[in-house]
Amino acid sequence: MLTQAPFQNYWYGTPWDEMFYPGGEPRAHYEPLMRVLENLPAEEIRQKKQAADLSFLHQGITFTVYGKSEGTERIFPHDLIPRILTAAEWSKIELGLTQRITALNEFLRDLYHEQRILNDGVVPRELIASCPHFRREMRGVAVPRGAYVAVAGTDLVRLPTGEFAVLEDNLRVPSGVSYMLTSRQVMKRVFPSLLRECQVRPIDHYGAALSSTLRSLAPEGRPDPVIVLLTPGVFNSAYFEHAYLARQMGIELVEGRDLLVHDNIVYMRTTSGLRRIDVIYRRIDDDFIDSLVFRSDTILGVPGLFNAYRAGNVTLANAVGTGVADDKAVYAYVPAIIKYYLDQDAILPNVETYLLSDERERSYVLENLDKLVVKAVGESGGYGMLVGPHSTKADQEEFRRRILANPRNYIAQPTLALSCAPCLVEGESIEPRHVDLRPYILFGEKVTIVPGGLTRVALRRGSLVVNSSQGGGSKDTWVLQN
Amino acid sequence: MYYRIRHRTRYYYSAPVHESLTEVRMHPRTEGRQRCLDYQLAVTPKARVHVYRDFLGNSVHHFGVPASHNELNIMAESVVEMKDFPDTPSGLAADAWDELDAEVKRGDYWEMILPSKFSRPTPLLLELVDKLGAVRRDDPLRLLRELNTRLHDSIDYVPETTTVDSPIDDALKQRKGVCQDFAHIMIAVVRNLGIPCRYVSGYLHRSGIEHGRSRENATHAWAEALLPSLGWVGFDPTNDLLAREGHIRTAVGRDYSDVPPTRGVFKGDAATAMAVAVSVTASDHLPPELAELVLPDEQSFPHDVLALNATSDKMKEWQRAQEVQQQQ
Repeated sequence: MLTQAPFQNYWYGTPWDEMFYPGGEPRAHYEPLMRVLENLPAEEIRQKKQAADLSFLHQGITFTVYGKSEGTERIFPHDLIPRILTAAEWSKIELGLTQRITALNEFLRDLYHEQRILNDGVVPRELIASCPHFRREMRGVAVPRGAYVAVAGTDLVRLPTGEFAVLEDNLRVPSGVSYMLTSRQVMKRVFPSLLRECQVRPIDHYGAALSSTLRSLAPEGRPDPVIVLLTPGVFNSAYFEHAYLARQMGIELVEGRDLLVHDNIVYMRTTSGLRRIDVIYRRIDDDFIDSLVFRSDTILGVPGLFNAYRAGNVTLANAVGTGVADDKAVYAYVPAIIKYYLDQDAILPNVETYLLSDERERSYVLENLDKLVVKAVGESGGYGMLVGPHSTKADQEEFRRRILANPRNYIAQPTLALSCAPCLVEGESIEPRHVDLRPYILFGEKVTIVPGGLTRVALRRGSLVVNSSQGGGSKDTWVLQN
Repeated sequence: MYYRIRHRTRYYYSAPVHESLTEVRMHPRTEGRQRCLDYQLAVTPKARVHVYRDFLGNSVHHFGVPASHNELNIMAESVVEMKDFPDTPSGLAADAWDELDAEVKRGDYWEMILPSKFSRPTPLLLELVDKLGAVRRDDPLRLLRELNTRLHDSIDYVPETTTVDSPIDDALKQRKGVCQDFAHIMIAVVRNLGIPCRYVSGYLHRSGIEHGRSRENATHAWAEALLPSLGWVGFDPTNDLLAREGHIRTAVGRDYSDVPPTRGVFKGDAATAMAVAVSVTASDHLPPELAELVLPDEQSFPHDVLALNATSDKMKEWQRAQEVQQQQ
């Protein structure tokens, strides 16, 4: 089939195209979308794009870019063309993510208690002991339902085979879910009939699901728990999201100074006195949560909070110390972790990963810095990484120096040919751009994954970095009913 | 030997503060030859004291004072029993290094081998390592004994030259410091040899110690290294001593930052001053108020009562019932 405008600038045969077969035929589940796009005059596409952008602007959906002096607050770049997943594709993803989160929570419980997996030599003890996110303070602390990670955002990529693989687990304070939710609201306005026609599964219940997950983790004997969302404040890149989620759940949005701890109980200051708090959905990193126990040079958190937590009088979601399980070097062991605790093979594979603390793997990586992606193990958001093929000799030398200075701090992966999806570029022509997918997983009384997630787009042509802080954008993700 | 330790801390604030929270690590440990028989913590303003055990088995007491206050007083009193130490050999067998490596490989010692906040191999430390000749040789014990002495000789003990937050480089540059610096440097040197080494916070009783230079009444700190067949052996480079009966241990950690005797936060715009007084007294006798209340000897029971020991199951049930009744 010959495509016409607006696909005239499109090129086919990228390693995996979400919408088209290599020859240019649209995949069956994209056909309704194809028909709509082909019949939309260019002018109307432009109008829809403007309407969508305006809507994001009016809702104040912005994010902050760190490390730039000028204008740090930006409108979140949104792409109008949805990414569509079939029911079969989703069901495998759902199974795989459920398996993964179950094993990772079991892993965390074990690490902070018996350490069977270390005693059995499945994961090297040194790897855990040297991980800055391993919180010794958590040893022996009981966590309701073993839900260390109550909210996870796992980054998936589609390989050239069409198979999904896990690129990264985000188990600390994953963000971005508000973009998923607002993006859908906008799409409902822009393409109301198409959503119905395609039978796209709804995601609007995310707020309710998060709320009931948090409730299910309340300390024992608190049948009607008071839940709050703890934010670092307006200067945080995800403050919009914190406010948005608090509103969705109908709970208070608080900062550290709004809470206090007395006799191991956490209270919120209100105009009518103190109110006991049972569950804190905290969007502050471990380091900043309690200046009595962790970093003392911070006023973001709540002094004494950890003692109240240890005493079992308040639940933190996520628990303290989950970062040890999304350390990028520990990531390499996740398939073994799944096997160890669940006696199952990983449903979603990992991406091949070289551990730079290993001498042989290190020398291979140092010889191939121009071909590989190198990442700092404790960083997220696309900071502290080298994309070999897009790097200069100077970048590579810099990373060689850093790796040799602290090999444990880095891993390397082959440069992935991420799948591509059509994106509206400059509001006019449609071109393929690299995408990934971050579904959000809730782990409480049960595992809940709202169908879809955040599809992140590397908006710069040829770029492989999808993080919003690095010039990425997002698009709506549609999971079909059947 | 019995020790009575009194440890008084007073915080003064230049203006009223509120919502203060304080953690205290002053409870002497019970392990090895040391047993803590009594521990009392008194706090003013009045506060409810909570306790937990940290990941290294230290008891941590903590409390909060929500109302406005100008000062905070903490009085910790403890009684510790210390059994005599056997003599430590001057050295170990030649194959002790292999034994050590095998032990470390088997066990869970990474915490005490990896660099920590204060004890890390900085360039200045590596210079010192060179100067001291701190490389694997002889056997681990002989080497550490030597390093303990040489460290003592190469750095002067000068109170108030460094602060609680000083990195070891400060002391290394000035060639002077306090016990905390000596311990941190010793730990970094020992870990650099691949020997697990940890920080000990405690008290020193000076009886019978002639050449020590620690101040009489103060908290003290030293290092403990893991040695094959001996376990954790205490080295006190401040005083060029092995830690023995006079070294009373309150807490162990990777370095000072794991085990400060007090740590706190408060709200208010005030400057803080802190004063500490410590007294350690020794006695050969258990303080009388801690003496066990001894029950009459079993032998002195009338024979018919003793005979009841051989009770039937039925009799046991009846006894339990009586117990409950007596308690009501």
